[in-house]
Amino acid sequence: MKLPAFYLLDAISKNVYEPYARHFTPFIIPLFLETYEQVDQNTRSKMEEMLLTWRTGAPNGKELFGVGPQVSIERAIWGGGDSGYGADASRAGRGGTTVAPVSKAQVLSELDFTLSQRERSLQQNPYDTTAQNHVNVLRQLRTLVEAGVSQDELRDVLNQLRALARSMPAPPAAAPQQPSYQSPPPQPSVPQYPPVPTTFSQPATYGVPASEPSYSHQPSYSPPPRAETKPWASTLPPASALLQNTIAPATIPAGTSASVAGPSSIPLNNIENLFSALVKAGVVSSNNGTPVGAGATAKVEDVKPGEVDPARQTSQEYRRAVLSQKIKLTNADITKQRPQVVPFLYDRLSSQCKQCGLRFAGNSIGKKKLEEHLDMHFRQNRKAGQNVGRGHSRSWFIGVEDWLHEISDSKGKGRADRRLTAKEAAVVAAKEEEAALRASHVVVPPGDEAKPISCPICKETLQSEFLEDEEEWVWKNAVKKEERIYHATCHAEALKSNRLAALMRSEKASRSRSVTPDKLSLRTTPPRGGNSDADGSVRVPASPSTQTRFAGTKRKADDPDSPIKEGGGTPPLKKMTISTAA
Amino acid sequence: MESGQSTVAAVPTKEWVLEPETEYRFELDPGTSLAVKLIRGQAEIFGTELVDGKAYVFGQECKAAVFTWQGCTIEMSPILSLCTLRCPSTEYVSEETPMAAYANVHTALEQRRVRALQAIRGSPISDDSVPAEPPRVLVLGPANSGKTTVCKILTNYAVRTGQGWSPILVNVDPNEGGWAVPGAISAASVNTPIVTSSTANTLGSVATSAPVTLSSNALLPLFYWYGHKEAKRNPLLMDRLIRNLGQNVQDRNEDPEAVSSGLIVDTPAAFASSTGSGLKDDQRQVLIKACVDAFNINIILVIGHEKLTIEMQRIFGGRINVVKIPKSGGVVELDHSYRERVHGYQLHTYMYGLRIEPPLGVSDATLGGEPITDLTLAPSSLQISFEDLAIFRIGEEAMAPQSALPIGATRALSEMQPVAVDPAKGGSRLINSILALLAPPNPDEAERYDEEVLDLTVVGFIVVTALDIPSRKMTILSPNQGSLAGRTAIVGSFEWSEQ
Repeated sequence: MKLPAFYLLDAISKNVYEPYARHFTPFIIPLFLETYEQVDQNTRSKMEEMLLTWRTGAPNGKELFGVGPQVSIERAIWGGGDSGYGADASRAGRGGTTVAPVSKAQVLSELDFTLSQRERSLQQNPYDTTAQNHVNVLRQLRTLVEAGVSQDELRDVLNQLRALARSMPAPPAAAPQQPSYQSPPPQPSVPQYPPVPTTFSQPATYGVPASEPSYSHQPSYSPPPRAETKPWASTLPPASALLQNTIAPATIPAGTSASVAGPSSIPLNNIENLFSALVKAGVVSSNNGTPVGAGATAKVEDVKPGEVDPARQTSQEYRRAVLSQKIKLTNADITKQRPQVVPFLYDRLSSQCKQCGLRFAGNSIGKKKLEEHLDMHFRQNRKAGQNVGRGHSRSWFIGVEDWLHEISDSKGKGRADRRLTAKEAAVVAAKEEEAALRASHVVVPPGDEAKPISCPICKETLQSEFLEDEEEWVWKNAVKKEERIYHATCHAEALKSNRLAALMRSEKASRSRSVTPDKLSLRTTPPRGGNSDADGSVRVPASPSTQTRFAGTKRKADDPDSPIKEGGGTPPLKKMTISTAA
Repeated sequence: MESGQSTVAAVPTKEWVLEPETEYRFELDPGTSLAVKLIRGQAEIFGTELVDGKAYVFGQECKAAVFTWQGCTIEMSPILSLCTLRCPSTEYVSEETPMAAYANVHTALEQRRVRALQAIRGSPISDDSVPAEPPRVLVLGPANSGKTTVCKILTNYAVRTGQGWSPILVNVDPNEGGWAVPGAISAASVNTPIVTSSTANTLGSVATSAPVTLSSNALLPLFYWYGHKEAKRNPLLMDRLIRNLGQNVQDRNEDPEAVSSGLIVDTPAAFASSTGSGLKDDQRQVLIKACVDAFNINIILVIGHEKLTIEMQRIFGGRINVVKIPKSGGVVELDHSYRERVHGYQLHTYMYGLRIEPPLGVSDATLGGEPITDLTLAPSSLQISFEDLAIFRIGEEAMAPQSALPIGATRALSEMQPVAVDPAKGGSRLINSILALLAPPNPDEAERYDEEVLDLTVVGFIVVTALDIPSRKMTILSPNQGSLAGRTAIVGSFEWSEQ
């Protein structure tokens, strides 16, 4: 749920750039990292992918949010201190003595990123067998890395990747990115979308940032593939050449030995080293590495996104197998073809639940799923046992809102618990709890009646009211914790979702950021609120602006009447808070 | 349902050996039940795989088929019927099944799911020949062509692949009853195979407070109440409800797998042909169009009806994949009285749960994998005052058919008009009527509108069992002991009384 918000931010920053990216910069680090902590593995790999694109996301081909944030985010995610940029910068001594450890996750994620780009370009150029080879090699490499290789080998792979990415003109984003980050200090912009045709006529532009010796072959290298995939490129006006460069990322057919040989020879050596190391280690049989060839190695850069967990890999296999079926949805195909459904419904899924007959794959993932599935049966059976003798009855159906937000749990894990009786019970319990919370109040200290106090969580004003029974002014729906007054409902919810700590932390962070110009710190609110709110599990009341859709359904306890009160005589401060947040 | 506790010592069972890709079909008479056990091999009932050694009980005039891809042996208990043992009224093995074609359809749908998921995830696209849209399938066909069965098979196959799919199964056939009672149209997300055991819940059953072992017995559908069994009774209302349902299905908040799973829409036979349905061709097409728009359909499956296929291709050919699929030879011609009885079963099951007496000698019987005892429910009888419930009838009492109106006159408004029903007045015809209890309306008065009751979902069904006009009270049968979850109800044309 958080991902779309990030994609939006990503899109705005990349497409509009000025001034949004500049404004996002101050908080992008905590925002990204906080989210990264909270999300699941899949989302993480998506975020990593996105992070990689930020390396060259700026219109000038540089880091979208500047070098600093980029480095610190990468460092925080992949750990290993300098492994990200550091290793890159010291790439000159590639294969040698980089200091920081390289994390497997990082390598995988870069591999994935490269592979995906490679595959994309393969899509556009399906007949490019070399590219196809490369994709295969990358996939192979991926499995190897996944299976686990030594630190040195990881580093090798990583360096290779980067070197190859640099040498590859193919993925428009990947190719020019390299120069920019090995030189963190201000740098002449890298010609990703060269505004002038100079790139073509002066390969030297490539060389400019490349202060390292290992780079020297670059200038001679980059133009030829372009020239040869698009032989007419030189005769075209620069603009269209540029267009072609971006539209049809030039893949390097095997024939371009002249151009490829130069850059790839080094990587090749390295990959041979790597493979021989692997062979020695018994990880891979020797015939795997060799048939790759120079051209192929040149594309090791390209690895698939987010395959970190084997579960995805198996489902990918499934997907490939399904797509390989040659069935068209036509009258003839449907009736004439022999169905190949049995392998999918039976053979591939060898372990069966003896209770309901559902099948799971025979591999370790399938076993794990089956265990979860059996656990679910166990829980349900136990509950059934406990309920013997009690009368049951048909529940009321769920309402539209619940139905719309019922997230289907594909694993079936805990599904019944969560959705059935427990669901209703939870609704009732939640209502009672909320009523109790709403009833709670804090006596206003004498003299403070007029003083507006806002809840630290939702930032809205606490409403004071004269309680006849106690003859006191009180704050409705309030609770006092550690000398601060909160909305009782906000506080309980924050506690419940166990996010209070995180929230307070981030609040502190945003306060510390308030040294930056006002409008900057203001902008921090919506994305953060939006993130926590969009994720159904975190019910921390967000700023009103982020609640467009859920307005009225998930608002705080005393909200139903707030629109009315806003109209007449709410303390001005409340309006201010709202407009601020918006 | 009859429990003949006759003393039969050794109950003879009967074994059937099925060749690959054949199916054993049976039809049960009223009041009989049957248990099927898989001995060897692999078998499935409408796409749900059987576990071997487990006795599956069928009842309430269930008509089903055990199909096997690889061959199997099954064991049938004898039929229990009024203390006499005999075979099902109809049972035979058929070698001609349309399963191969259905499996091909499944594979084609599966490809779309995979592609849609790739597209959502932004993964590299591996095959351009398959559109990257989740399959949103409309199943059309004449009466007794096996539409619901096709929907069920396709849904079950999807959830069995182990890919985390959870397609939304939509039922817009008010005659079918779907998950609860006839007269409703509904949609539910399905993520485990739907079992077949009775005609009372052909699509799996909706959640109860009883703990259940199978998720397909605890579906959480969304209901709208049409209130009549025929689409011709009020096509305008039907149109509106379909669009409401479709809107909610599209608004649903789902994860990528669920979105890619797409949806499968089961339709009434009236959509397929005007003969016998009372719908005029243009009305029929309007309703089909409503479905297509509401659910953003991209595949239409027409079961064994050449002319309809051509018609659909003509209307939607450009943007929708219209495919004709074969009809199963096993479909049973259902008569009117059968439908009436099934409606009775469905209502009884809604209130009292599903209970089928297993055949003699079958001790470990399960209803599609569920221990039988757990499915018994207790409704409660409540007395409420007339003021507690606002009851509406949609449309005018006795509507003249559209054709009887002056040329050019339109009656759109009155057909959709909620008319308050006063229980105190004679002729309210509320006794034994099924009322659909509606969700509470928008709490904000300013947001209310006249026809809001048409757009509210159903939270449950109640039956008026007695009216006490002098004291302005009525007795209702409510599915549970809790207070009524709504204060508005719509009455349709369905009636039910406990036998």
